[in-house]
Amino acid sequence: MIKTIAKPAEKKITGCGECRSTCQSACKTSCTVGNQSCERVTREQDLEKQK
Amino acid sequence: MIHVFSYRDKRYVYDTGSGALHECDARTADYLAGKPTELTEEELAELGALKKAGLLDAPETTARPQKSRFVKALCLHICHDCNLRCKYCFADEGAYHSAREMMSAETARAAIDFLLENSGDRKVLETDFFGGEPLMNLSVVKETVYYAKAEAKKRGKRFLFTTTTNGLLLDDDAIEFLNEEMENVVLSLDGRPEIHDAVRKTVNGKGSFDAVIGKIKKFVQLRGDKHYYVRGTFTARNLDFSKDVLFLADEGFRSLSVEPVVTDIEDLKLTEAHLPQIEREYETLCDEYVRREREGNGFNFFHFNVDLEGGPCLQKRVSACGAGNEYFSVVPNGDLYPCHQFAGDAAWRMGSVFEGITRTDIREKFANSCLFTREKCGDCFAKFICSGGCSANNYHFNGDIEKPYEMTCAMMKKRVECAMHVLAERKSREK
Repeated sequence: MIKTIAKPAEKKITGCGECRSTCQSACKTSCTVGNQSCERVTREQDLEKQK
Repeated sequence: MIHVFSYRDKRYVYDTGSGALHECDARTADYLAGKPTELTEEELAELGALKKAGLLDAPETTARPQKSRFVKALCLHICHDCNLRCKYCFADEGAYHSAREMMSAETARAAIDFLLENSGDRKVLETDFFGGEPLMNLSVVKETVYYAKAEAKKRGKRFLFTTTTNGLLLDDDAIEFLNEEMENVVLSLDGRPEIHDAVRKTVNGKGSFDAVIGKIKKFVQLRGDKHYYVRGTFTARNLDFSKDVLFLADEGFRSLSVEPVVTDIEDLKLTEAHLPQIEREYETLCDEYVRREREGNGFNFFHFNVDLEGGPCLQKRVSACGAGNEYFSVVPNGDLYPCHQFAGDAAWRMGSVFEGITRTDIREKFANSCLFTREKCGDCFAKFICSGGCSANNYHFNGDIEKPYEMTCAMMKKRVECAMHVLAERKSREK
């Protein structure tokens, strides 16, 4: 038995650079990109919700 | 590449090429891990379908990131002085191995101008007010924020501000300002009072817990929905750090980060001998984290977040943190360094906000650095999540920004596995 828990959504935009600098998030010593979300997608989803 | 791992009685398979996470039974896990196991035709067909869908054994990207030449973030060392004397402070208790000094408003404005002028088409810029203790120079922080906002508006850009503080100077005025202007605030608190007080001492040598806890609580209470992290450090003295994380959660803080110390101090430093205990401690914390979340009493632990569905794009995942190229630290006299952990080391001075970047060779070194220039990362399952680790840690422990520090790697891998388990548990509750 094997079941998929999570898989990446297709990304239409890559490398736009609008996400936060990794080191600014919380720890300043061992921050990782994997803890971040795509801020552009998050922002666009927020705008959708507000409509 | 696939990574098969266990968490308690669960078996997971993470496919690095696709970024997909699967849960499976023990026989399938053994088979995928290369152990002699016979699967049924039906089980083999399941695996075949996943491979066909590109979710198992998928090829990994080898595309080098595009080199950005735009600056998007600055860490402003607004004050090289501190009102605490924490034993483990990498910043030499605020002074960065130099004179205790404040950044002037003129230098801070020049830093903002440097950022704006070098930011190209970047619309969202970041500035982190860091120290020492930045609230010791709050008037300059305020002046800088108002100046940056006004200048950014003229150019169709905007700033996200962060402040890192020990909380000692959080009065009503500071709280109101930070809650109004800061996108994120990082508040230093190590956990249980005796753990905090053993290391985080006032100038007079007393523990600082009682002096800050009320102020930090008040700040968080008034913070509303805005981002913050209560951020602690664990050392060799509190390898049972899950108790500190849970203590902070029980104090009502909902956004937490407790980090391994970076120090050479003998009785505080973490060594490989501590790793088994640290790994067990992350699992202990993870068990309780999942239990609380299940009961509706969850909190956010920074390192147990992994967004496998909407996380950063591949470009971001392979291009590391941006230090020394897109992100710089500015010390009080305006000198530029690759990041706060290089500040004060003359060999890494890259120029200043007044003269610009003069050491283009250092910038080139950082701009060329990415996941694929860190050879040791090649066979690591966590590489597209950690992006090759912290350049400063690599340099300070291994003498080369490209050589990952093994202790950090081991802790990272354990935290990523815990984060994946947290995600799987969350998904199972959504059904």
